[in-house]
Amino acid sequence: MSQFPDLAELQGNILHGYRRAVVRHLVLEVVDRAAAQRFLAASIAGDSSDVPAITRGTILEKLPDVCFNLGLTYEGLRALGTPATHLASFPTEFVEGMTRRAAKLGDFGASAPESWPSPFDRPERVHVVATLYADKTASLDRATEQVENFAAGSHSAFAVAGVRDGRNLDGNKVIFGYRDSISQPSIRNDDIPDRVRDPLGTVLLGYPTRSEGIVFRVPTPPVLGRNGTFSVFRVLAQDAFGFEDYLDRAADELIADHDVDRLLAPGAEKRIGSDLTQHGALREIVAAQMCGRWRDGTPYAVSPDWPLSGSTELGMEESDGTPPGSRDLRNDFDYGPTSRCPVGSHMRRVNPRGGLIVQRIANHTRRLVRRGMTYGPDFDPAIRDDEERGLLGHFIGANLGAQFEAVMCDWLNLGLHHPDITGSNDPLIGANQPETSWFDLTARDGGAIRLRGFPRFVTTRGGSYTFLPSLPALSYLSKLP
Amino acid sequence: MSLESRFGRYVDALPEKAWFKFLATHVVVPYWNWGDPKPKLPGGPRPSTQPSENVQRMMNLVMPLADTSSLGRAKAVMAIAQNAEEIFAGLDNVGTVHTARFVILEDNLCMISVYDGDFSNYIRDFIETIGSVFDDVMSLVKGGEVLIPTAQNVDAFIDWVHEHDLFQAPDFPTELFALQDERAGRKRGTPHELRSLPRELILQLQANRNLSLGGGYRAYPGVSAAQVRSRFGMGW
Repeated sequence: MSQFPDLAELQGNILHGYRRAVVRHLVLEVVDRAAAQRFLAASIAGDSSDVPAITRGTILEKLPDVCFNLGLTYEGLRALGTPATHLASFPTEFVEGMTRRAAKLGDFGASAPESWPSPFDRPERVHVVATLYADKTASLDRATEQVENFAAGSHSAFAVAGVRDGRNLDGNKVIFGYRDSISQPSIRNDDIPDRVRDPLGTVLLGYPTRSEGIVFRVPTPPVLGRNGTFSVFRVLAQDAFGFEDYLDRAADELIADHDVDRLLAPGAEKRIGSDLTQHGALREIVAAQMCGRWRDGTPYAVSPDWPLSGSTELGMEESDGTPPGSRDLRNDFDYGPTSRCPVGSHMRRVNPRGGLIVQRIANHTRRLVRRGMTYGPDFDPAIRDDEERGLLGHFIGANLGAQFEAVMCDWLNLGLHHPDITGSNDPLIGANQPETSWFDLTARDGGAIRLRGFPRFVTTRGGSYTFLPSLPALSYLSKLP
Repeated sequence: MSLESRFGRYVDALPEKAWFKFLATHVVVPYWNWGDPKPKLPGGPRPSTQPSENVQRMMNLVMPLADTSSLGRAKAVMAIAQNAEEIFAGLDNVGTVHTARFVILEDNLCMISVYDGDFSNYIRDFIETIGSVFDDVMSLVKGGEVLIPTAQNVDAFIDWVHEHDLFQAPDFPTELFALQDERAGRKRGTPHELRSLPRELILQLQANRNLSLGGGYRAYPGVSAAQVRSRFGMGW
């Protein structure tokens, strides 16, 4: 049961990221079951020039021009003809779907599903989230055309209900300017003996999990459930101007009302940024404490006074993603009792690592694989615009309730895992309102300085809970009567 | 006295008249229920947008006993007595529980507790901590055998508890409409006539025979168990 699976039977985006330049998510509605099944069969066979081939988990020397993976919603599984008894074997949160879990996820107010744009305003029509990854937009266009040919004409398998394009920003940055994609669950694999952290059951159905003795529900029949997993697809708009404006305000308030030396060591400005004033340095301290990392990716827990960019102390990775030394301080650290990384920071909320938490058994159990890219135009703080920009993300885990939802409703919002932050939301991506929001900065003397009145910086603009079937499962679905 | 006001007084007094009560109970309500049966509303507190309402939440878990004879009920008493210490130690480890107690009420074993945060997380953490102990209790509960071992059926167990946790009637009576709409898959904001509220409540009580009346009273709202422990130096 705990044997490592045949990688060729897994969808390729689960255990490994492709690290490609551009992405396109096609939201499809199954119109004709038989035609959609023909599409699936052809995409598994991988030898058709008419259909993009599903990228498998096999580790490849060279990636194909386009990587292609797909997730199915509950409605999608039903549209493909999955029998009711097997549909009922899926976990409740998946059956209900993202929109009916909105309150748990903090999707209310401006983030409420009622205000999502098409196609996410009609979740019953969201059947397939098909994701194409490539290095050039032209490659995406060619693959999109293949899918669209299947959507129109004689096949009429799908209606293309929506398209979302994203891209990788230089240096793996996200719209708020932070370097991202640093910490991921590293999956235990006997072939790679030095990466022994998270058991396979974290991201794949049918394997032991970090929670001792706990077995997550594997949908039936076994061919459908096993080696599959769940992905939370989210469209998250990031208010970059709002965030930068708030940092200005926070720095103003700190200078006006507080002893700035408690946050900024005298003369440390230049180490935070060569051209920074005291005001500019305070902005970066607030940004770093809210996230838990400096914008260059240096963990606040590792270096609370300034970021370590360019410094050899960190063990920065090579351009191909492999760390140069044995110890990568960007990820190899923990939150001890004296850590100056705020308990309420984004990173300590979504992954408290080994730090002391209220739910003593939950350390390390709520990990997610994140596959995200940026959408919208470049952000230049000097040029105001009203464009929407943000993150298109797949958040992958074997159990939606025990991982994604558990993080969202008790840690990210509410802050239940530490008494010092309970009642507050994640400062970066939480469901904040200026009337009630608060965040405690940690001071150099060990005390805290409370910030209040910041708005919600990240708004949900769509999404769905999808199931990422294994290749044998896709084959099973393609043959359903 | 005008005819109209005499008629009005007569109508007002109808609910106390024996013939009317008989008619309402045995004809009108069954007829309504036949024409407009209400699906059972799920149990437990609902997630709130207010952080303060997501702590100190009430669970009223009603577990029907498989053997309702006094012998069977005695077995339930023994199962709790033998395992209580371990169960309470487990709850201590879950970390988000204020109080919990067991009650036998008629043919049911009830677990009544106050906990912080999300219901599913509470139950999952509980089972992860002391699932093997709680299996002894579940073996005496009607429908419990298919959930044992609970650690290996944790998703199903969470659904089962949700089903057997008492429905919590909303603090604002008209919210009942919204809950019924949601359960029936109707659009949010569907208009309802206020005067139909009593009828809806009567019909809902056909589906949910037992319920918790509102969210209950809290002497120190918005405070988590860990915050209480932390403040009093009890170690969280």
